[in-house]
Amino acid sequence: MPLLPRLSSLWRNLFHKTQRDQELTEELDAYLELLTEQKINAGLAPEAARRAALFELGGKQQVKEQVGEARTGYQLETCWQDLRYGLRMLRHNPGFATVAVLTLALGIGMNTAIFSVVYSVLLRPLPYSAPEKLMALFSMRPQLNSFRGPVSAPDFVDWRAQNRAFDAMSAYAFNTYTLTGSDLPERFIGRRVSANFFQTLGVKPQLGRAFLPEEEEAGRNRVAILSYGLWERRFGADPDLPGKTVSLNGENYTVVGVTPNDFRFAPVEIYTPLTFAAADMSDMARGMHFLRVIARLKTDITLEEAKTDIENISRRIERQYPVTNAGKYGNVIPYQQDIVGDIRPSLLVLLGAVSLVLLIACANVANLLLARAASRQREIAVRTALGAARWRIVRQLLSEGVILSLAGGGLGLLLAYWGTDALIGAAPSDVADSTPGWKQIGINPQVLSFTLLISFLTSIVFGLAPALQVSKPDLTDSLKESGKSSAGFKRQRARKVLVVAEMALALMLLIGAGLLIRSFQELQQVTLGFNPGQVFVADVSLGNVKYRETSQQINFFQQALQRIEKSPGVISAATVNFPPFSFNIDHVFTIAGQPEPAPDAIPQADYRVISPQYFRTLEIPLVRGRVFTEQDVAGAPRVVIINEALARRYFPNEDPIGKQIKLGRYMEVNPLHTVVGIVGNTKNRGLEIEFEPEFYYPFLQTPVRFSSIVARTQGDPLSLTTAVRNAVLEVDKEQPLARIRTMEMAISDSVTQRRLNMILLGIFGALALALAAVGIYGVMSYTVTQRTREIGIRMALGARRRDVLKSVVGQGMSLAASGVGVGLVGAFLVTRLMETLLFGVTPTDPATFGGIALLLLGVAFLACLIPARQATRVDPMVALRSE
Amino acid sequence: MKEKEKKTDLLKEKKTDLLQGTLDMLVLKALALGPLHGLGVSNRIAQITQGVFQVKPGSLFPALHRMEEAGWLTSSWGESENNRRAKYYRLTKAGQRQLKTETDDWERISLAIAKALQAT
Repeated sequence: MPLLPRLSSLWRNLFHKTQRDQELTEELDAYLELLTEQKINAGLAPEAARRAALFELGGKQQVKEQVGEARTGYQLETCWQDLRYGLRMLRHNPGFATVAVLTLALGIGMNTAIFSVVYSVLLRPLPYSAPEKLMALFSMRPQLNSFRGPVSAPDFVDWRAQNRAFDAMSAYAFNTYTLTGSDLPERFIGRRVSANFFQTLGVKPQLGRAFLPEEEEAGRNRVAILSYGLWERRFGADPDLPGKTVSLNGENYTVVGVTPNDFRFAPVEIYTPLTFAAADMSDMARGMHFLRVIARLKTDITLEEAKTDIENISRRIERQYPVTNAGKYGNVIPYQQDIVGDIRPSLLVLLGAVSLVLLIACANVANLLLARAASRQREIAVRTALGAARWRIVRQLLSEGVILSLAGGGLGLLLAYWGTDALIGAAPSDVADSTPGWKQIGINPQVLSFTLLISFLTSIVFGLAPALQVSKPDLTDSLKESGKSSAGFKRQRARKVLVVAEMALALMLLIGAGLLIRSFQELQQVTLGFNPGQVFVADVSLGNVKYRETSQQINFFQQALQRIEKSPGVISAATVNFPPFSFNIDHVFTIAGQPEPAPDAIPQADYRVISPQYFRTLEIPLVRGRVFTEQDVAGAPRVVIINEALARRYFPNEDPIGKQIKLGRYMEVNPLHTVVGIVGNTKNRGLEIEFEPEFYYPFLQTPVRFSSIVARTQGDPLSLTTAVRNAVLEVDKEQPLARIRTMEMAISDSVTQRRLNMILLGIFGALALALAAVGIYGVMSYTVTQRTREIGIRMALGARRRDVLKSVVGQGMSLAASGVGVGLVGAFLVTRLMETLLFGVTPTDPATFGGIALLLLGVAFLACLIPARQATRVDPMVALRSE
Repeated sequence: MKEKEKKTDLLKEKKTDLLQGTLDMLVLKALALGPLHGLGVSNRIAQITQGVFQVKPGSLFPALHRMEEAGWLTSSWGESENNRRAKYYRLTKAGQRQLKTETDDWERISLAIAKALQAT
């Protein structure tokens, strides 16, 4: 068929409709006159000829419509009509349209946002080459239930030399670097890495080169690779930077490369080669675990084979060095699994929750559409009786479904964009930092299409329900029906099932949210063991050139503390190498005078190096003995303070004061320290973690180069920032302050993940509750209209308003109760999956289960009350006459 | 005449599909002899089929407009024999080709059907 005339007719038909119409009228008028004339010529009287001609034409309007149907673009035009009609229908039912569109939008938007994040974190391959081959290696001690411990240098060197499973194996260690030069001194987090670190990840520097194998040797290791961000910000993206020298921790390093822009490996800005000194490689160093190890699997080697390989090597080492390596083996875990390990349970619970929301949303839309179908049954029957073809009615309903879907989908897309951004922004910084490419997470197109498809199908399939209804031949029944036909009841059953399902799903979600809220409350009640209010914290890390001597380190911190203590508003100030809620280092130690412990019973505790005012500053109570003083210096008797947990665990039946301990194992030669005091327990690792044994060394006796300054203030802790920074710069104008925060911020950050989970699940729960309420309200108000006549009769026969109320509410509440029953069973089965996210409550906490069930029943009661009160206002006379 | 009309109506009801094609062919054939207005077309068809087909306006006009949009016909306003304004239809090149195709098809089909009916 020739295309051109078609298109031009389409154009005319669509946009010059009146002209076409007029022309056709003229043509038909002319036909009529010619025909009349012909009949007059054949001998008929003019009047009779005219009548006969009109009769033969058979109605001008009909002919015009028939011509219209034959025209190009007729389908398009009727579609347009359907759409306009659909829009009009929705505009006349703003309540229905709003609820349906919002429900769809929320379902689509929330799901897309959560699924996008989940996909990016759990499923999307890491942005390294062949990421599935990338493994993380750990020391594990199965007896101690520890599987992801750091690795010691000699163990790593043996693994790397002896393994047959990996193409490349690389270790890295946490490090901080103070960059000095023309700008203000600044501290950066970095890593010391094996020379083949970048090859192992499969990443090439964007500028310059990766490290060379010989750069692992002492003396040749003064080279550095910078992150793209640092290169851009601090060095103005200087393309000639490789080859130039920068000052890191007071030493000169030659920059050899810059990482690619999209390369992310934790929040690392500076890399230098990892060099092992002789002390790192001693036999005893096998007990010092500080390395993280990644490795690239050979192409034909499976994970299981690699595990066996590393385990065999570990067993050889174990036989050779039983003192340090008894019960310690290498463990291999896919790298992606390792980095998502901590956030995985939260994401899976959110995923489950949001899927429930989608289900509820779909059920609700289905419910709304079915309710509307019921009320439109008569309209459709009338239209069918007037000659509307069935496909025409189906198309009409379809277009309404499409309008709803498009509106809901569009709004949902907006919500999805907004929600994804909000989720990315709200995530705790450690999650954001440890997930490569976190900031680049966007809406996932597959996910979006999936949710759109599900919602569209729901609205379209259920939107067609009334059309299927009229397909039945008993048109007259439908016309006569005013809500008492058997078909109506059948659909009513579908709606009831939907409502029960909605209630059950909502209950499960709410119980999940309730459990998280209870956990969070419990966490807030936890005894910290110190007073976090009004405490300023900042990190200081001294360079190893200027502060090589311990006396230099002591001098620096003493002078800085003196200046800070004099600042207005400061009550007391102290140093501590790891303040609570930052890092922790645990250390094995030996109690003098006790026999050598079994390998799995070696005493172990967190340890901290503090200045004398530490306990006063954090308000940690002294239980017995004394705190450190200015006299606990090098040369004086070596002292240590322990906490109650350590006293209870390792000195169960004796007075620890006066006892002596040393760092390290039984055979190690280390100086002995005498216990001079016992202090209260403190939470250091996290609110949900039990009190750990802990001991404190005096800073003046065993100084460290890395320390935090903590200061208790009278006012806002952060107002101290300038004073502290100036105090530090007065002592050393090249010394930066890092990670300035308050103790309360640190604690709050440690529960960001929990708070986020709680808030999200809370939102989902509230949403589910609202949807379920709308659902049950919809069913009940429909039932009431169906029962108008029956209620009228009852009231005419003497039923009181209260009886009617009771009957309607009872009907609704029986639905709600079945929903709650099903939901309770479901929740009972499901909540144990979120056990790892809970704190202080069991997954089947009766108070939460009971409370939430009551809440849901209460809301359902209110939702039933509105239609029930409508029912009591039925006027018996009007109801009876309405038939 | 009345009898025949009934027959056509019956035919129309039963074999709409066949008649659709047939109607197109008859209209094209009628116009092949020269331009005609609507009534002219229906008169010509009645004439050349010796009254077997009485094409009613309800079928005629949709067919005319459809074929015009397909590019087989063009139309223009003109004067009728007795000085009345009327819309005249005329066959285009494409219409002539279409008539040829339809005629060929029809002959093939009717031959086949005739053979089928004669077969014993």
